[in-house]
Amino acid sequence: MKALVTGAASGIGKALVERFLDLDMQVVGVDREAVGNKGNLVSIRADLASRQDVDRLVVELKDHGPFDYVVHNAGISATGKFEHIPDEAYRRLLTVNTETPLVMTSALLAAGCIVMDTRIIFISSLSHSTGYPGAAVYGASKDAVAVYAKSLRKSLFKDRIHVMAVFPGPVRTDHAERHAPPGAKAERRMEPGEIAERIVTAARQRKKVLYPGKAANFVRIIGAVMPETTTRFMRLAIYEKLQRSVY
Amino acid sequence: MTERRRPIALITGATSGIGLEMAKRMAVDHQLVLTGRRQTHECAADLPPDAHYIKADLSDPVRSARHLAAKFFSLEPGRLDLLIINAGIGFHTSAGREDVAMVRQTLDVNLISSIMLVRQFAPLLEASHGKVVFIGSVAHRGAANMPTYAASKAGLAGLARSLKSEWKDRIGVQIIHPGPTRTTMHAKAGYDPGILRKLFFSPEAMADEIVRRIKDDRTHTRISIKARLGRLILRRRP
Repeated sequence: MKALVTGAASGIGKALVERFLDLDMQVVGVDREAVGNKGNLVSIRADLASRQDVDRLVVELKDHGPFDYVVHNAGISATGKFEHIPDEAYRRLLTVNTETPLVMTSALLAAGCIVMDTRIIFISSLSHSTGYPGAAVYGASKDAVAVYAKSLRKSLFKDRIHVMAVFPGPVRTDHAERHAPPGAKAERRMEPGEIAERIVTAARQRKKVLYPGKAANFVRIIGAVMPETTTRFMRLAIYEKLQRSVY
Repeated sequence: MTERRRPIALITGATSGIGLEMAKRMAVDHQLVLTGRRQTHECAADLPPDAHYIKADLSDPVRSARHLAAKFFSLEPGRLDLLIINAGIGFHTSAGREDVAMVRQTLDVNLISSIMLVRQFAPLLEASHGKVVFIGSVAHRGAANMPTYAASKAGLAGLARSLKSEWKDRIGVQIIHPGPTRTTMHAKAGYDPGILRKLFFSPEAMADEIVRRIKDDRTHTRISIKARLGRLILRRRP
């Protein structure tokens, strides 16, 4: 069995790599930073915000495919008031979070690296269940990924290619630490190892969507029943506590 | 008595389809600034006579948004009441096989340019107590044969939802999701709806509905088969 994980050097991606290796799988880990080659792990360096890098990457991946699991995990954020964040930061964010997973999926399908029984996994965000004042473009990038996954699932169903979208709430990663509002409690965030295990289990069970944990499921329901109240809460919890922009 | 100034509206993608029909309807009571990919001399005859036109190809989002804003400021400095983000492209595919270049272009035009444009014009909209209107699509909840198009419109819907909250007392935000319309998009996208085409809105009728809903100010609305039937029953003509 073989897995491809983007954003493999840290956070959820790193935990996923470890989980796949524990299951005796071969893993190709892609990241801007070195992931390190050891045993069954092959590391490829690529900046997923760069079109040239992505184009080069998909060619290189042809030699490693086909894959049993493809996890589009790499993601970056930009927190702050919408109009306070520079164009270039938004461009990078939208490329890494939205364009690259879509481009890679199209290219890997065309190259025969995604085949029958492959599981394609998109890491969206729990923010898909609510508005995200204070990270409006991040929220938009993750909404786009969620709906792409849903659309693709329908179109690849006949080919028995399985597509799952994951909607994690706060996870205890450096990413969350950098973007969290002041006073946010790190111990409430889910451990990357736990989330990785849930993702792999859910993908094996061919789940369509995964809201990992009770809190995420709660937000999913509240967000669907009371969308405006949920967004208002997000404004209080995030937007009104913003002290600086982080991108 | 001083003459009341007409509100200033900017419509992107206004040289064909729904955008052009909206422009024709809004020309009566708005000073229009229109944008499109066509050369000025190619489309000048189609556009309302006193509308300004800026040629802008949105497939290079950061640069074109800056260019468009600079041109706009030279035409209408100091005021913008209504920004209508309408430009959009889409490609039809079978079984999820999308071409990489199409994926990038669809996201650039539909989502990334929209974000860059809103960023450019936000200060002016705030100063004018204006409003931004996003033209989404009923596909924003998913479409098997247009995954990237659906994703781009979902991104717009998400953006509108967050901006509505961020800007609650500052700038109006509205998103309107049109249903299937007989524009050239389906042909350009390589899709023949066949007999279903009869159920589609004409661009004129769709523009009518959109202009009505821009006035009624509801944050989030879909224009779909219900509105189509309503028009038939009420015998509304475009």
